[in-house]
Amino acid sequence: MLIFQLIALLGFLAGLYGLYLRYAETRRRPLPPDRSPLKGNPTHGIVYAFTAGMMPWAKESTRLHGIAYLRGIGFHLGIFAALGAFLLSPFWGALPALLSWTLSGVIALGAILGAAGGVLRLVEHNLRGLSLPDDHFAVWLVSAWLALSAIALHGPGWLPAYYLLSAVTLAYIPLGKIRHCLYFFFSRIFFGRFFGRRGVFPHPKTTQ
Amino acid sequence: MTAQVELALNTLEAQLNQPLETALEACARCGLCAEACHYYRAQPSVEHIPAFRAEQLRSVYRYERDFLSRLFPFWTGAKKLDEKTLLHLTEIAFSQCTLCRRCTINCPLGVDTPLLMRAVRAMTTAAGTAPEILVMLADAAIEKGADPSFFKELFLEQIREIEEQLRNITGDPNATIPVEKQGARVLYVPLAGVHTILPPAIVFNAAKEDWTLSIFEAANYGVFLGDVNRAKQVAKRIVDEANRLGVQEIVIAECGHAYASYRWDVPNWFPGQFHFKVRSMIEVLADYLREGRIQVDPNFITEPVTYHDSCNLARNSGLIEEPRFVLKHIVKDFREMTPNKAEALCCGGGGGLVALAEYTERRIQAGRPKAEQIQKTGARLVVAACENCRLQIGDLNERYGLNVHITALTDLVVRAMRLPKPLPGTEAEHLFEGQKEMVELDPPAH
Amino acid sequence: MEVKLSLDFKGLLCPLPVVKLAQTIKQVEIGELVEAVATDPGVMADIPAWTRSTGNELVTLEKRDDKTFRFVVKRLK
Repeated sequence: MLIFQLIALLGFLAGLYGLYLRYAETRRRPLPPDRSPLKGNPTHGIVYAFTAGMMPWAKESTRLHGIAYLRGIGFHLGIFAALGAFLLSPFWGALPALLSWTLSGVIALGAILGAAGGVLRLVEHNLRGLSLPDDHFAVWLVSAWLALSAIALHGPGWLPAYYLLSAVTLAYIPLGKIRHCLYFFFSRIFFGRFFGRRGVFPHPKTTQ
Repeated sequence: MTAQVELALNTLEAQLNQPLETALEACARCGLCAEACHYYRAQPSVEHIPAFRAEQLRSVYRYERDFLSRLFPFWTGAKKLDEKTLLHLTEIAFSQCTLCRRCTINCPLGVDTPLLMRAVRAMTTAAGTAPEILVMLADAAIEKGADPSFFKELFLEQIREIEEQLRNITGDPNATIPVEKQGARVLYVPLAGVHTILPPAIVFNAAKEDWTLSIFEAANYGVFLGDVNRAKQVAKRIVDEANRLGVQEIVIAECGHAYASYRWDVPNWFPGQFHFKVRSMIEVLADYLREGRIQVDPNFITEPVTYHDSCNLARNSGLIEEPRFVLKHIVKDFREMTPNKAEALCCGGGGGLVALAEYTERRIQAGRPKAEQIQKTGARLVVAACENCRLQIGDLNERYGLNVHITALTDLVVRAMRLPKPLPGTEAEHLFEGQKEMVELDPPAH
Repeated sequence: MEVKLSLDFKGLLCPLPVVKLAQTIKQVEIGELVEAVATDPGVMADIPAWTRSTGNELVTLEKRDDKTFRFVVKRLK
């Protein structure tokens, strides 16, 4: 088992290092100065971007596509839970049953919602038109990893396969579309700064 | 690689900063931005999804910069830039995106797709494939700044004629339109046309403002090209004029892109030389009303009125409550469009589209959702504080039979000031109570 | 010299006279003349600026008694 754990660890470290390289590359790029006088508050804008601005009612797109929003949230919660479970994997045996079953429940739900996303990418006209091979691969890879995480939490026989798939999934993060997990933070910060300083968000009466 | 392609790629590389790289990397292709775009609403197809448009640039970027894409281009849709792709990118950036940022506020990640489209505009301008007319208009504006002497005398002659109209309308023989007044507090920058000079002049005179009129116009076609060098040269005319006259404040006519660029971008282009406050004419109106410096008739218009939020003014500059504050002073029956304010739909005329005759049909098609929105309010009068929006809504009015009148906010305020003679010039006279006497308006000047 | 093309820009606001002129001047050969009449006084500044920046020649530009503006441009590029 140790060899599988080492492979998984290598995959994890490779993914982490790849993300660090991406982060460092982007941070090396210039950040344009903003000398214009403020109308609003960029810090408030950034806080909004990560809090109220993420709520389903904050955007027309998520108001229109509530199911898609919930599917996405469930999938990503599953991913966070699976990452936590991965880091805890050497100690799974020591986890309280309630925590272990809750984790696997959240992860399994994430897997189902991820797979649903994968199917949608194949059948829904717009999503199919937008999707690249990388998108299809990423959603199925992560969904499979979530499924295996949920199973392996309660089926030790699946651990070698789980560790191997973890290595592939985690190492792939910086290579393909999954690296949007890093750029999500950049993007929301720039979003908040832009609309915050211009007094657009947060705005008590931005829409009626 | 041809020189054209090389120029485009070099321009992309030169622009790559943190926000641009983030916008290139962050998209998860979830498609939630589709309905945010007026092009998609008017004609739902994959090609009109903002993420799909952005993907056309991303594919080029990935081919140049992404490890996996260099090895397996098909995997990430990476594509080597060639002349055909460059022309396709040009068409997308100049005719299928008005840079309105509605997709950005609807994106779960906040991806700034207009930033990408602006980058494409800069690339194609450098490569020489951008619409020729925008380049010509920017270059002509730069030429005017380089040597104002060839038009100044004629300009001053025109202003004296407008001044006569001003005195006639206000009944004030001392009303003036100062030009190049040293030490004035405010430099007002109009657009081309008497319609953006006369009404503000009436307001400034009524408010006893210490102002002077710019000899240049606020429009900046360099901004539409995404070409910062040209945009800077166009803006430099105003910055130099403001410095030369020693003004404290620059007030921009009712114009979306001009206000957004002078308010947010120009201060960054001229570090150490830009010490002025920048306000839009709509902020000036709101402040004068708040301070009691101009008087208006609160029962001025009883017909239903709606306000169109210019994307540059509302979503991109936060001028959301100011125009509504002004309208509350003069309009009895104000009706919001839905959605509105930061979420307002783009009318389809932004991004320089109204100047591009070759895309007229596409622009009017894309404006259909706005036309439907206006129709649903039942308003007879549409107020828009941006020249491009007014031109576009005028075209929509004609095409979709909206049966509305379109006006600038300043015009409406001036009419509500109940001057000895009303501001002439629109078909909407019959909507304004008690305005019987008309005076002839000269053709738009400047 | 004979005017090859006469254009009516009456009622058009700037920058449309420049836009239309730039588009239609391509219909004449290099060295030929285009004439236009406009009502927007903006042409008094915009047309000379356009000819200067594009390398075409402004042959004449005049304000007429009927408050219109007439100009003649020779295509050089």
